[in-house]
Formats: sequence, C-alpha cells, structure tokens
Amino acid sequence: MPQVQRSPEIFDVVVVGSGAGGGTTVRVLTEHGIKCALLEAGPMLNVAKEFKEHQMPYDVPHRGAEDGGAAYFGKGKPFGYFSTTSGGWELDGEPYTVGEGSEFRWFRSRILGGRTNHYGRMSYRFSPYDFQPYSKDGLGFDWPVTYDEMSPWYDKAERFVGVTGANHNDLPSAPNGQFLKPPPAKVHELLIQKACDKMGVYCIPNRRAIVTEPMKGRIPCHYCGQCGRGCQTASAYSSSQVDIFPAMKSGKLTVFDNAMVREVLTDGNGKATGVVYIDKNTRREKVIRARAVVLAASACESARILLNSKTAEFPNGVANGSGVVGRFLMDTVGFGLSGYVPALEGMKHYNTDGAGGAHLYMPWWLWDKHNKLDFPRGYHIEIGGGYGLPGIGSFQGAGRRAGYGQGIKDIARKEYGCSIAFAGRGEMIPNMHSYCEIDRGVVDRWGIPVLKFHFKWTDYEWKQARHMEKTFADIITTTGGRVTGLSAAQRESDGISTPGTIIHEVGTVRMGKDRRDSALNKYCQAHELKNLYVVDGGFFVSNPDKNPTLTINAFAWRAADHLAEEMRKGNV
Amino acid sequence: MSNTRRDALRQIAIALTAAGSAMELNAQQAEHVHSAAAADTKGGKYTPKVFNEHEWATVARLSELVVPADARSGSAVDAGAPQFIDVLCSQNPELTVIFTGGLSWFDAEMRRRAGKEFVAATPAEQTAMLDAIVAAERTVREQNAEEVLFARAPQYKGFSGYTVKPGTDLEPGVRFFDWARKLIVDAYFTSPIGMKDVNYIGNQMLSKYEVPQEAIDYAFNRSPFRIV
Repeated sequence: MPQVQRSPEIFDVVVVGSGAGGGTTVRVLTEHGIKCALLEAGPMLNVAKEFKEHQMPYDVPHRGAEDGGAAYFGKGKPFGYFSTTSGGWELDGEPYTVGEGSEFRWFRSRILGGRTNHYGRMSYRFSPYDFQPYSKDGLGFDWPVTYDEMSPWYDKAERFVGVTGANHNDLPSAPNGQFLKPPPAKVHELLIQKACDKMGVYCIPNRRAIVTEPMKGRIPCHYCGQCGRGCQTASAYSSSQVDIFPAMKSGKLTVFDNAMVREVLTDGNGKATGVVYIDKNTRREKVIRARAVVLAASACESARILLNSKTAEFPNGVANGSGVVGRFLMDTVGFGLSGYVPALEGMKHYNTDGAGGAHLYMPWWLWDKHNKLDFPRGYHIEIGGGYGLPGIGSFQGAGRRAGYGQGIKDIARKEYGCSIAFAGRGEMIPNMHSYCEIDRGVVDRWGIPVLKFHFKWTDYEWKQARHMEKTFADIITTTGGRVTGLSAAQRESDGISTPGTIIHEVGTVRMGKDRRDSALNKYCQAHELKNLYVVDGGFFVSNPDKNPTLTINAFAWRAADHLAEEMRKGNV
Repeated sequence: MSNTRRDALRQIAIALTAAGSAMELNAQQAEHVHSAAAADTKGGKYTPKVFNEHEWATVARLSELVVPADARSGSAVDAGAPQFIDVLCSQNPELTVIFTGGLSWFDAEMRRRAGKEFVAATPAEQTAMLDAIVAAERTVREQNAEEVLFARAPQYKGFSGYTVKPGTDLEPGVRFFDWARKLIVDAYFTSPIGMKDVNYIGNQMLSKYEVPQEAIDYAFNRSPFRIV
C-alpha cells in the first residue's frame, strides 16, 4: 500500500493559501460553479475566539502583557496580545535562514484569511506610471499590463472589498476609484493637512477597505477603532469573512486547514496535477488532485513551493525555466518619526477612534520633480495620533520622565493624545542582491526544505528614507510641534526599516512578457504550465508605494476569471 | 461597551461565519471566560500566589508610591497593580526572581539607610530612597546613551566633556525599580481607574462618526494656523 494518502475526490481547482489572493480566487471560481479545494497552513478561523475586538486590557488578568509578562521580555505576539496576527516573524518549527551580511525577517500568517484578518486595510490602486517604471526612469522592469487594462479590475475589487476615499482629478499618484464615503478627518489630521498645504504636500481622504454603508450583508463600520484585532462584523475587509465563508456556503468549496503544502505535482507533459501537503494534525503526507493549481501562499512561500517541486521536466523547480523564481524580492521602504503637538494639549477629549486607522493620508506629491531629487520613485505617508486605547507600555514615557509619584499622572493627563506619528511607505527598486532560495541543509518540522534570504537596501532606498525623515520633521514643526522620535545615535542604525518588517514582501514569481525572464504571463498563469497560476504578491514586477493587497485582489480576480474561461474552453 | 451591544455584535459575527453551531458554542464559551475573568478581578480579598505577606505589603507600598492617589483618582493599589505583578510572577520564574530579589535589596538598602525594612520606614525615608534611585537611574541612562554613542563613534571618546559617568552602587535598585515602575504604571493605566483618569472614551459602538467643531477650533486657535 502506498504511504501517501490520496484524497479520493478530484477537484476542479486546488488553491493554496487563503489570504487576499486565495480568498478572491475561491470566491470567483465558486461563483462560476467551479469546485475548489482550499488549503490553509494554519487552522480554521474561529471569529468569536480569535477576534478580541471589544476586549479591554482589564478584561484579562495579564492586561495584554501575556502570560508571565511575555511582552516585557520581547516574546509577546507581534502587534500585541489583542491583535489577531496568528503568526509572526518567527514560527515554532518553521525556521528560515538568512545569508551572511543580509538581514531579512519573514512574516507568515497561519490562519484562514491570513494577513487580511489584521492588515491595515490601506487600499491604494497603482498609478498609471507604476506599471511602466522602467520606461519612465530606466530602473527595474515594466509590468506586462497597463493601467488601462487593470483599471476595470481595480474598480471591481474596490466595489467588492468596499473602500472609503475620494476622487481627485489632478492627482496621478492617487487615481480615481470606486469609493465609499470617507469618515471626517480628526483634529490632529486637520492640523497636519494644514501643514501639508503650506508645504505643497497633498493630504487627502484615506483609502481603506472598510465599509461605511451597508454592503452585501456587511453592516457599516461601528467605529470601535480596533481593526487590527479583526473585525467581528466584517465591516473591515478580510478574505476569510468576505470571500471564503460565503464561498463555503455555496457548497462548491472544501477547506483543508492545517495543510502545509510541500510541492506541486506535474504529469511530465507540462501540466500540474495537484499538490502534496503535510497534514499538520497527523503529520502525514497527503495529495490533492485537481485540473488546475493556484498558488496564493504568499510571495515567498509560493516561491518555496515551486523551487521545492523539482522534476526531470522542471530541474530548476516547476515554472522556473527562466530561473527568476525567488529573485527580485522586494519589501517596502519604511521609516517612522513621531512628534509632540502642544496645540492639542488641554483639548476636550472626543472619541478619536473613527474607522480604526488614519482618515487622511499623503500620496506621493513629487511625481514630476524627480530631476530635483537624489532618489527614484516615491512614497506615501501614513498618519498616527489621537487618544488611543491605553495598553501595555502606553505611559512608560511618563513613568521614566517623572521617576515616580504624582508627576506620572500629571504628565499622562497633559500629554495623552498630543502625539502624532508618521510612517513613510516607499518604493524599492528590485536588485540582484535581494532574493530567496532553498537552503538545502535545513528542513522545517514538516520535513520541507526551508528558504534562505538575501537582502540589500541600496542608496536609492536609503536616500528616500532620508527624504522621509526631513519631510516628517518639517510637517511636525509646521504644526508647531517638536520631533520626539529618534535621537541622532538611533538614526545611525535605525534610519530605514529592517527588510521584511513592513510585511509587503513581493516579487519572487514575477510576471512578464518574456518567458526567459519571468515566470508568469499577465494573467498570473505560468508560462510553462497552462493550468498553474500564482496570485499572491509573488507576481509583482515592481513594488510601488501602494500597499499590495488591493492589487492582489484585482489581479487574482482577473486570474480566476481567466482560469474559468480557459477551463470552459477546454484549454485547461 | 455594554454587554447587550457586545452580544449584538457577536450575533452578527456568528451570522457571518460559514460553520454555524460550532462558532456559536465558542462564542458562548468566550463569554464565560470573560465573566469568569471579570469576577476574579472584582472579587473580594486577593490571596497572593507568589509573594509572602511581607513582600506583598512592600509591593503594595511601592505601587502606592509610584502612582499615588490624588483628588481625581485612586492609586495603583486601587487599580490592582500588586495583583497584576503577582499574577505575572506566578507564571514566570524569571520575573519572580527579579521581584523577590529586588524587594529584598530594597529592604537591605533601607536597613543601611534607616535601620529598618522598607515598609517600616517613614514616608520621608521611603521617598528619599526613591529619589536617590531615580537620580542614579538618570546617571545610568545618560551613561548608557554615551556608551551607545561611543560604540558607533569611538573617535569622540577621548574628548574632554564626553567622559563616561561613573557607575553607582544603587544599580541593582535602579534595575529592579525600572521593572517595578514599568509594571505598576501599566497596571494603573490599563485599569478602569487609570483609563477614566486620562479620560479614554474609545472602543465604543457608534452609528455615526463625528469630530466636534469645538475641538477643531480649540486646536487651531492654539496652533500656528490661528486665524487672527
């Protein structure tokens, strides 16, 4: 008897991964009547247990410091106990290695819905110029699609996901879209907007995947401000609640949870036939057969699966005749600075939660001034501030400055809610030094060879980060505030985000016109296998200063429609 | 947020899920866990899991000194800081050592200064000792900052005026007090008392989100953008 258990059923499509890409895919395919299997490496999402949206710190004895005060020892959950990350940069038994001289931290979610359960819901469609960056400045590579081709898919994605925002006809960095009414700007945001006006920086309603009016069974946002903890009402988009749960109700979708995929199976004739996975519950290897395979396991995990799928037909790994799989890994350039704004002292408190994150943001404003800058491409700015929910660490500054006694209360009362923060999110140029490969010497607890990362920021990124720093300091001082963020000593090492920590890693299975230097065509379909698609951040050719999720939603939708049509025509 | 509102949101959450009754059961279980936790913190006399009677009294006195009561609100003891510390220590031997060792050092230092244990000292003797620790802490902090600076820019180390400050015998006290204050301050501001103190009014269920014009006017009139 064979050791490997085969699922007796043959599915139309097996989809690996349940985040924005996988969720969108199974929703669209099941709507076409196509029978899907969805594999998730983590457990099924239990919304009631996992989403701690309305808990207060005092509802748990550890107040959010976690058992034994793990958070104080740097061993707490990423983003805190109440967040719903269900994963992190380090997972027990699932290591990765990093090449000498490199630094990279790989975030993985292990739960149905993946990172969409907690992401920032920033939903920025690419600009027309983002699709042809090489044509514009000679760096990186062009996408095999144009904005005009993708714009209708962004429209569909925005209408489905539900994105707040506003149209601005004269703003190339923030093209018009299909927006829901944005919530009103908060007081500190209005001050920042005024400062931006003076500096020639655009500060406009934020574009976030949160419904502010009823939409397809989702009730409008109730403004509790806890989106990062998961949204019980699904007013904030998650693929789990908005794509996958409804698809499960259709009867066309079977979800296999705790299913860690190792490789794609092929038939030796240029076709994928299914996937091999380890059932984490039993630690047994299993196989799922399907007419088509869609990888949406996250950019690096999908690259890992392809590279680990070596056959006589595909000696470099499935779909990797070009050798680009794993190459051109990109993250977003991140830099943060905070400030203190005395104008906000003594203001009568109001509820600053709103729709969770910032209600305004600053899209890139120097798209036509590159001859005056010492770096290519651009960044957008995200805003923080307001009377946040007090948690572990919130008032430590007051404690240290006052030492002890009445002064702690005095400082806390006076300064609470008077801080603002800026996070720059910029475009990295893909480079030859940033990639992942299989580390042949190390396997994870499931016996699967792990990834080894190599990563390098270049001068392009460092100079962009310095521009962020100066801009943020200028905005802070223009509001009458003072910079409180980084000391000169800190800046020497912390002047740019650690690669991987912005969690926008993309580009490892890129698409392109030429099968010699890309793995996928413009429909996310592998050049070498017609029935294999990759619909996560892997297909990215560049990583514009637009957070990736909405673009994954749009491309995955297009890919799923393409696959459905190819299956109908009998091509797949 | 009231329980009825929470319940309403839970019902909605359940309705949105694919798998019906299993989720519902878990929602109810979660509610039970919550009520149990709430009862535990609100309940009568707390019995320490880790600290002996003397340590418990010292933790309480320290909590009171770090965040004392005033006309507006209660102290860190009222906010449950000693329980918080005891709970975390009961789950973490490393933290327990930090606290039992630190509390013992506090007694030894007070014996050296005033011939008695910390809790037995007068409030003036206690604050004098904390003042000394806080002053030493600032020295240590500056020293650490300089070390970081010199590690990155060693060429400055030889310059006069950039010398590293000398160490202090109070350093064990400084290290412990940093832990104690950290936990006491967090316990205070994450309690209902502390949140009310800073007037936190969020995490509510609102049908509409508005920003009061009064607040906008207030901030703008105090900013450089004031319309004169």
